[in-house]
Amino acid sequence: MDVWQQLIFIVEGVPLTLSISILSFLIGIALGLPLAFIRVYEKEVGFIVDAYEKIFRGIPEIVLLLLFYFGLGPFFPIPFGNAFFVAAFVLGLRSGANQSQIYRGAIRGVGDEQILAGTSIGLSKWRSIWHIMIPQVLNFSTPGLGSEYALLIKDSAYVYVIGLAELMTRAIQLKSIPPGDVVTPFVIAAALYVALTFPIAFWLDRWGNKRKKKLGL
Amino acid sequence: MADFVMEAKHVYKTYGYKKTKLEKNPNQQNCVNAASIVEAVKDVSIKIKKGDIKLIFGPSGSGKSTFLRCMAMLEIPDKGEIYLGDECLTKPGVDLNKARARIGFVFQHIYLFRHLTALGNVELALRQVLKLPKEEARKRALAALAEVKVLDCINKYPSQMSGGQAQRVGIARAIARNPDIILLDEPTSALDPELTGEVIDTLRDLAREGTTMLIVSHEMPFAREVADEMIFYDEGTIVETGPPSLFFNAPNTDRAKKFMTRIINRTTKE
Repeated sequence: MDVWQQLIFIVEGVPLTLSISILSFLIGIALGLPLAFIRVYEKEVGFIVDAYEKIFRGIPEIVLLLLFYFGLGPFFPIPFGNAFFVAAFVLGLRSGANQSQIYRGAIRGVGDEQILAGTSIGLSKWRSIWHIMIPQVLNFSTPGLGSEYALLIKDSAYVYVIGLAELMTRAIQLKSIPPGDVVTPFVIAAALYVALTFPIAFWLDRWGNKRKKKLGL
Repeated sequence: MADFVMEAKHVYKTYGYKKTKLEKNPNQQNCVNAASIVEAVKDVSIKIKKGDIKLIFGPSGSGKSTFLRCMAMLEIPDKGEIYLGDECLTKPGVDLNKARARIGFVFQHIYLFRHLTALGNVELALRQVLKLPKEEARKRALAALAEVKVLDCINKYPSQMSGGQAQRVGIARAIARNPDIILLDEPTSALDPELTGEVIDTLRDLAREGTTMLIVSHEMPFAREVADEMIFYDEGTIVETGPPSLFFNAPNTDRAKKFMTRIINRTTKE
C-alpha cells in the first residue's frame, strides 16, 4: 500500500470518529446542562451531581469502555452489546461530567438576577432557566465547549479497544497489512486528528467570543 | 370587585440569617446569632387604589426594596398578607407565577435579558406567559416600546443601549402585559442626571395615563408633581405618610423633617 492508499483507508474511519464525538457531545449537553442547574439551584440533591462528576472524571475512558462493553454487554446485549452505542454513551457520560462543571461556572457568571427578572414577568423558576438562562449559559461557555469538543475527538481514539473501525482502529489495522509500516499510518492519524479538532474548536471559540462581546456577557 | 388593586397587611421580612455553629447543635436548634439578622420589613401595611401613585422614600438600607419585592412576591414575606385584588398571595397553594404576570416590576439595575433585543425582551412575557399569537405579541410589544419612546432601538441588545434606553425598555417590559399595578424600585438611581430625565419623562407619561404605581424613588420634584401620597420609610417600617405638600412644608415626625431637609438642600445645590 502506498501513502495515498493508506490515507484513504484511514479517512474511511473519519465519519465514524465524527459521529461518535458529536453524538457524545450532544449527550454531554443533555446531561451536563440540567445537572449543572440542579447542582446550583437544588442544593439538597447537589451531592448526587457531585458524585457523578467525581466518578466519571476520575475513571479513565478506556476502563469505562471495557467495563460497559465486555462487562455489561453479555448480560444486556441491548443496548450494551452495541459497540457504537457504548462508545457514544461512555464518552457522553464523561463529557456530561465535564460540561456540568463548565456550565456551573457559566451559571454563576450569567447571574441569578436574570432568573429574578424572569420570575418578575410571570415565568416560573424552571421556565426562566429554559428561556433566559440556558441561551446565555451556552453562549457564556463557548471557550470551554470548544476544548470539550476537541477532547472528545481525541478521546474517541480509545474506542479501538471495543473494535469500532474508526480512524484510530484503521490506523492500527494497517500494521498488519503489507508492507506493515508503523510510522506513516500514525502520522496520518495524527494529522487527521488535528484537522478534525482545530478548525471547529477554533471557530466555536471565535464565534462564541464575538457573541459574548455583543451581548455584554 | 375589590376596593384596592393591591394591599399589604402587617408584612414582616427578616434576612441576613446566617447559621451559626451553635445552631447546628441539635440541642440548641433555635439559637440564632441575633447580630446577623436584619429586620428589613416590620409590620408594614399599605393600600393602593386603582390609579394611585404612591412614592416610598427613605434612607438607603432601610428595607424599601425588600418591601417592594415582597409586594411582588419576589421575596416571600415571613409574616403578613399581600392581596392582589381579592386574591391573597401569601396563602399556600396560590399560583404565584400567574399573580406576578399581573404585576409589573422595574428593577434599579434594570436586569434586561441580555441575549434578547429590546423587542425580544418585551415579547417574551407576551409569548410565553400570556401565550399570545406571534403577530399580536409583536403588535403589543411595539406599542409598549413606542409608549416609552425607544422605537429607535428595538433591534439593539441591552449592551448596545444607553442606561436610559435600557431602563425605558425595562419599563416597556413591565407595562406590555397591561398589569394591574407597576412596582418600580429606584428606577433612576443607577443613571446619571441626563438619563434620569428621560426615564422620569416616561414615568410622567404613565402617570398622566392613570397607571397605578408604587415607586421607590428620591426624585423629589417628580414626587411633588405626580404622587398622590408619599411614604417615608425608615428602619424597616413606615414612619409617616401624607400628600407631597405635607412633606415639602412641615412633616410631623422629626426623622422625616431631617431627611427632607437633607434631600432638599442637596437638590438645590445641584
